[in-house]
Amino acid sequence: MKVPHFDVTVIGSGPAGLAASLSAANEGAFVLLIEREARLGGILKQCIHDGFGLIRFGEKLSGPEYAQRFIEQLPKTSITIETLTFVTKINRQADGFMITLVSKDGIREIITESFVLACGCRERTSRQIGVHGRHCSGIFTAGTAQYYTNVLGKMPTKRCVILGSGDIGLIMARRLTLEGAQVVGVYEAKPTASGLMRNIYQCLEDFDIPLYTSKTVTRVFGEGRLSAVEVSDVDEYMIPIPGTEKIIECDALILSVGLIPENELAESIGLPMDNRTKGPVTDQNSMSMVDGVFCCGNALHVNDLVDYVSESGEAAGRSAARYLPKKRTFAEIQTDDSFLYVVPQMLSITELKAPVTFYFRSKAERVKTRLTVTADGREIYKKAYSQLRPPEMERVEIDFKDMRITTDSHICFALAEVD
Amino acid sequence: MKELTCIVCPNGCRIVAQMQDGQYVFSGNRCARGLDFAVTELTAPMRSITTTVRTVFQEMPVLPVRTKGEVPKEMIPEIIRELAKVLISEKISIGETVAADILGSGVDVIATSNQLKSTEEKE
Amino acid sequence: MSYIAALNKRLNILYGGKVFAAEENGCLFIKGELSQWQEIVHAGLISVNRKKYIGLVNEIRLSGVEIPPMKLPEFADNTLEGKSPEVLVIGGGIIGCSIARELKRYKIDVMIAEKEHDVAMHASGRNDGMVHPGVDLRKGQLKKKYNDIGNRMFSTVCTELGVPFRYVGQYLCFMKDWIRPLIAVTPLYWKAMNVPAEYVSRRNLNKREPNLSSRISCAVFFPTAGVVCPYGLTIAYAENAASNGAILCLDTAVLDMEVENGKILSVLTNRGRVYPKLVINAAGVFSEDIARMAHDHFFSIHPRRGTNIIFDKKAAYQVRTIVSSLGTIDKKAGHTKGGGIVSTIDGNLLVGPDAIETYERENFETRPDSINNITVKQRHTSPKLDNRDIITYFTGVRAATYEEDFIITFGKFTANLIHAAGIQSPGVTAAPAIAADIAKMAANYLGAAENEQFDPIRIPIPQPSGMPQEQRDALIRQDENFGVIVCRCEEVSRGEIQEAMRRTVSCDTVDGVKRRVRAGMGRCQGGFCGPLVAQIIACEKNIPLEKVRKNNYDSNIVFGDNKEVI
Repeated sequence: MKVPHFDVTVIGSGPAGLAASLSAANEGAFVLLIEREARLGGILKQCIHDGFGLIRFGEKLSGPEYAQRFIEQLPKTSITIETLTFVTKINRQADGFMITLVSKDGIREIITESFVLACGCRERTSRQIGVHGRHCSGIFTAGTAQYYTNVLGKMPTKRCVILGSGDIGLIMARRLTLEGAQVVGVYEAKPTASGLMRNIYQCLEDFDIPLYTSKTVTRVFGEGRLSAVEVSDVDEYMIPIPGTEKIIECDALILSVGLIPENELAESIGLPMDNRTKGPVTDQNSMSMVDGVFCCGNALHVNDLVDYVSESGEAAGRSAARYLPKKRTFAEIQTDDSFLYVVPQMLSITELKAPVTFYFRSKAERVKTRLTVTADGREIYKKAYSQLRPPEMERVEIDFKDMRITTDSHICFALAEVD
Repeated sequence: MKELTCIVCPNGCRIVAQMQDGQYVFSGNRCARGLDFAVTELTAPMRSITTTVRTVFQEMPVLPVRTKGEVPKEMIPEIIRELAKVLISEKISIGETVAADILGSGVDVIATSNQLKSTEEKE
Repeated sequence: MSYIAALNKRLNILYGGKVFAAEENGCLFIKGELSQWQEIVHAGLISVNRKKYIGLVNEIRLSGVEIPPMKLPEFADNTLEGKSPEVLVIGGGIIGCSIARELKRYKIDVMIAEKEHDVAMHASGRNDGMVHPGVDLRKGQLKKKYNDIGNRMFSTVCTELGVPFRYVGQYLCFMKDWIRPLIAVTPLYWKAMNVPAEYVSRRNLNKREPNLSSRISCAVFFPTAGVVCPYGLTIAYAENAASNGAILCLDTAVLDMEVENGKILSVLTNRGRVYPKLVINAAGVFSEDIARMAHDHFFSIHPRRGTNIIFDKKAAYQVRTIVSSLGTIDKKAGHTKGGGIVSTIDGNLLVGPDAIETYERENFETRPDSINNITVKQRHTSPKLDNRDIITYFTGVRAATYEEDFIITFGKFTANLIHAAGIQSPGVTAAPAIAADIAKMAANYLGAAENEQFDPIRIPIPQPSGMPQEQRDALIRQDENFGVIVCRCEEVSRGEIQEAMRRTVSCDTVDGVKRRVRAGMGRCQGGFCGPLVAQIIACEKNIPLEKVRKNNYDSNIVFGDNKEVI
């Protein structure tokens, strides 16, 4: 039997994958969209709160509504959609890639010229942050608690402690309170909160849920179900301070302690990864260091706003559709150590015709800061910020036209205080 | 002096309201919408509500909904209680009204997912 | 001076009259009261005399502390009242389950009583899965006898039971250069001990284990070291025992016994009173309690906690076999638990364990200092160990006797009792041999004939992700559920999860499913698949989601429908 051929295969149908498949199809590519769940939309299906699409649509939509804006366009295209389908293997071939798929129909292979990794991310677990005690039930990552609440309609807790002030934790603090649970407080190990300011305001302050910083959960108690947690103060290195322990009775510990890009597929094909983003190294066209392999959305680096995830997906889909195998030469993007990361990490020199969109996160909270981008010592871009926070990703567009960038060019991003 | 965070856009500007000559003077907002928000927030704070309502359908036991617009913040608990009584027994589409003019607020509550409808289509 | 007199003199000096020793019925009893558990254990260890006494019973009380009693199952009923199995095996760990399976080679009616909701919930599910070559075992120890025989049986047993197993070998590494000529001759010692061993130079070690510390100067390689999934093997033994007719009673705890004239007449459980002809004590940390109930109290258990750490499969490149370094092995008091690094049968890296005396027999808590101590120590062997690759950790409690050896014997005072007690490392390796011996002992005692119907083969739950493509495809066409991937970190299908609940040993918890098919054991630790697994359990068992439990007791996951609960 003949193996089906596609121009572009998109793996994942969350906001990144939906945008990528639509923009690839828009470029005239023959697209396959693969989704391991039964339904499209990825994590947006369970993000029933609003605030999505303010930038892209100028509207305050809920997650499912935002996803629907893309999903309803799919029938107008010739995109092939496979749900409840799982990618088990990817092999490089002479004419592209062979992807092996598992589904209810058996094991199948397809051949694709290029593919887009849009697999999203996973949540950091209790073990990864050193929560100790007995492995009782009632310890959830915030996304899992959200799934029980918003998809299955079940109460994962009646009285809980939330560890981590990331946005998912803040959203769940409000959600669980609305469903009648008692949220004892949100505890954050860093000295400042991680989530967006507006979420702290409308999820915690609105409901009088206290936020405690420089505190963490060190132990959990419970034989079968969680019955209490131990909270300790921490120092500036986030090491618990002995003698500051307090016991808080609760039946759930909800963790919002970070997201990690999901990259098992990327690693299985040997994509060079960026240790800072935990995603693949890419150029300005969302292409990884392996020709024909693209990456976008949270699989590339963790975003805060779905609008930028869609933008990232669109760019990747477009690039994947236009992809022609040819040799690339790169200039590396360098940063001073005031950044958590800058994406893309590489500039493909021959493709520098259009402005490049960069995304970055500052390592520390800063006020009155200027971003300066230099090429071989020449200042080529600058922007002033009244405030930069690590949890809030920033986006800039830089046009490299006429700048004669070569592989030996030193392109450097730097942040400095302004008077 | 009062401090509040604007929730209109992702910027989340921290707005400070100072009392001057019997009136509030605002600073910290980066746009006019923020100013409107701050004024409303101090006089009659409004919020949108997002939650779920129960359905009779096993494949989707709860349906996500939201208020189509904002309601007075103090109405949140009673609106939530009212919505807890709702039971969806028809496969409605995204945007369809689940509860009209909820508790006389003038605001409808609408479905935000099309999943019920698309299961019907599959069958 | 007699031994007892000399011992009492010594105890007096050490503990100032608070502790004294006495002989009773050929056993050495030490009694009194001390304020530190470590002191109580030490008193026991220095008092042991295997030549003169049947065993040591340590009855020293711990001041101000009540030793927590054994945790009992949630419910009680009469479903077992009046039953009279020929053999009652107490304990559903690897020892109890393997004994039950071996017993079915004979025409013997077998019942297993396990107080937890599943088998392998205690030490058998909380160890490093190592099949030991017997590096640190001495002639004369039962440990050595059963380890050596068990090790040689392992391949056959695992093939019969459909359990993955590999002889990967173990490197015992040495850091000091001057030691090399001495180490080079040690294989002769091990040869005399019947343990195959081979001296490995630094250069050869680099070829075979290229990522270890450059400070290692040489090593000894033991090819008969292996890796297995210990709870997987326990479950396999239990399933095979059950399909051959053994009755496995979970949630069944032994509370008391009626003993008369040196014979057990009946055994009281939370499910009624049963009347076995023969009782086998495989009760792990509670084997002393059982011995006491059976009026056959000649040994004591001093529990010893150990924690193991599991690293991401990404880190598995660091060690290909099993590696431990001297200097990290604790050669104290007859046990050598300084731990090492194991490349597990599932492809993870397992690091540990440590060994800490405790009186809490069921405290499976993990502690941050354990994690720190273990990783710091093992980094001497593999410097690339990065705590950020840790995906989980777990604690087990070993059932150690003061003699630090197995107790495999008929009762000393009670006739219809066999002990398989004090089984600590190398318990997993020794299990096949212990089980075979005890089954023979029981068959002789009962005069039982061989069971021609016994089928040693167990077909495991299919694992599509490990199959060749055509086989996997065919399986999915038979049952499409094997094509729906639920746990994406470990690529586990819905079909496997359903199958886990349809075996001869009952399984209805999230962790029970996890232990059988690995759903939830990957990087995200059940973040995505947890709710899906819970739903599949709810559907299979026809119960609402709020009745699905993670494990034992009240480990419910959710509280009910969210507009009704509060």
